[in-house]
Amino acid sequence: MSDIYVYIESYEGKMVGASQEALGAARGLADEFDVELTAVVLGHNVADVARAAFDLGADNVLGCDDASLADYRAEAYGPLLTTLVRDYSPSVLVAGATTQGRDLSAWVAADVEAGVLADATGLKTADGRVVATRSVYAGKLLCDTSIPAGLQIVTLRNRAFAPAVSTGNTGTAVWLSPAVADDTLTTKVTGFKPKEGGISLTEAKIIVSGGRGVGGPEGFAPVKTLADTLGGALGASRAAVDAGWIPYEHQVGQTGKTVSPDLYIACGISGAIQHQAGMRTAKVIVAINKDGEAPIFKLASYGIVGDLFAVLPALDAAFKKRLG
Amino acid sequence: MKVVVCVKQTPSTTATFKVNNGTVSWEDAGSGKPNVVNPWDEYAIEEGIRLKENHGASDVVALTLGSADSVESLRTSLAMGCTDAVLVADEALAETDALGTGKALAAAVAKIGDVAIVVCGKQAIDGDSGLTPMMIARKLGWTPLTYVAAINEISGNTITVERLVESGRQVVTAQLPVVISVVKEINEPRYPSFMGIRKANRAEIPTWSAADLGLTAQPSQVSWDSIYTLPVREGEVEMLQGTVEEQAEALVERLFAEKVI
Repeated sequence: MSDIYVYIESYEGKMVGASQEALGAARGLADEFDVELTAVVLGHNVADVARAAFDLGADNVLGCDDASLADYRAEAYGPLLTTLVRDYSPSVLVAGATTQGRDLSAWVAADVEAGVLADATGLKTADGRVVATRSVYAGKLLCDTSIPAGLQIVTLRNRAFAPAVSTGNTGTAVWLSPAVADDTLTTKVTGFKPKEGGISLTEAKIIVSGGRGVGGPEGFAPVKTLADTLGGALGASRAAVDAGWIPYEHQVGQTGKTVSPDLYIACGISGAIQHQAGMRTAKVIVAINKDGEAPIFKLASYGIVGDLFAVLPALDAAFKKRLG
Repeated sequence: MKVVVCVKQTPSTTATFKVNNGTVSWEDAGSGKPNVVNPWDEYAIEEGIRLKENHGASDVVALTLGSADSVESLRTSLAMGCTDAVLVADEALAETDALGTGKALAAAVAKIGDVAIVVCGKQAIDGDSGLTPMMIARKLGWTPLTYVAAINEISGNTITVERLVESGRQVVTAQLPVVISVVKEINEPRYPSFMGIRKANRAEIPTWSAADLGLTAQPSQVSWDSIYTLPVREGEVEMLQGTVEEQAEALVERLFAEKVI
């Protein structure tokens, strides 16, 4: 069997969490199939990312470090990855199911006519092939999927797999030239507005979310205070986003983000099926709602029926006391 | 300049599912409508119509690949304001995956002709893979612009969009033709108008076969080996009692015991 490749994504010179998880899962597959693991590092000024890939368990690093890759563009990254796959014929290509991972997995799959197991939440093997568990039909069913022949491309849901651990390994990366000349690319990145502070929802271990029950934009203040105390991210239901109380990037649910934190605290969220689609894989769910009959309590491990404007400050104080 | 909007008919968001010997069925007792336009695609339809209203697109063609009853999603698209619709339906394409779907839709876009922009929703809520927009772009050889939250400008052949990615918003310019996938923030979809619904009901919608598109059967490369319902969440909810302070203390206690803090 040929080697396993894992696509490594970085932001501001650091490997993103989704890629650390992809490295961990890909290492597991490589060990099971008894093949080598090659990390693919693309970007600009990414020597440290290549070092980190060795440290996190890659046997080899193939990369391209070029100014044309400073900003992510599918048109610059995609052809490189396709070239690598054509030249080295890996058995499996693994990536995090980030916006980049989804873009590039589809790019390569279209070019080499391969299948993709997208957004896997679990991996196993059978008969020398990868079997990925995926959530389908708005998270209401699970499906074990596989690709019987040819290259297997797999993307992994953020936070569904344990990140790779430091091994202390070092190595020498092999650096390649870009696949396409910068001046032939038709896309140009002319600006970037970094996300305003805070942790991204998909990477957060703890999420505190507000819904219709917060009553208005100012109602998110105690929700955010608790999120900050816990070092978590601030989430919202569609109702709160549609009411204009909080920007869309905070939306959890079917037309927002799908999240898998260790702890999800739903405040004033009734728990419509569309919201559940985005957060039902959280490890522990806490519901705080005035209405004891709200569907969210059916999903929750712990519930408090009460006014969130009384409960949240008390909870914040209790956590602060405990956390010191 | 034509715009094509790719839509998919999916189970309604409130549908309940059954799995029997690996066969999935669903119903929606609440609304009585088991199938709807994929919710993400509503934003694509709206954006397509706005490209006509604000950027001079001549036609907005709704395109779907699916069974004969997928024509309903096309009628909804027409009722909202698309000018034309095309159904691609063929047994040879029925069981295909994102790659086969991408090929078929790309071939249909080419057959429609004179298309400058293809708009898709970010993903469909049934398969949930989000691969098809990129597949269409690659098969057409056009520039993909995924996760678009705003079309800022179209000037001559140059389009400027904002892409919503994990770390922030990327402002990107590209040359038409392009394939765009949109996120919810881009707009607020309109409701079908009364006149629109009447027009949609009367519309003749052509059906194209695989052969019409110069395609042979597209078997799926991905095998769905087994499909099953979610494992039941263990244990019932524990409702915390007492004063607000007592409830807070009790919850903190339990969350530390669960090791999630």
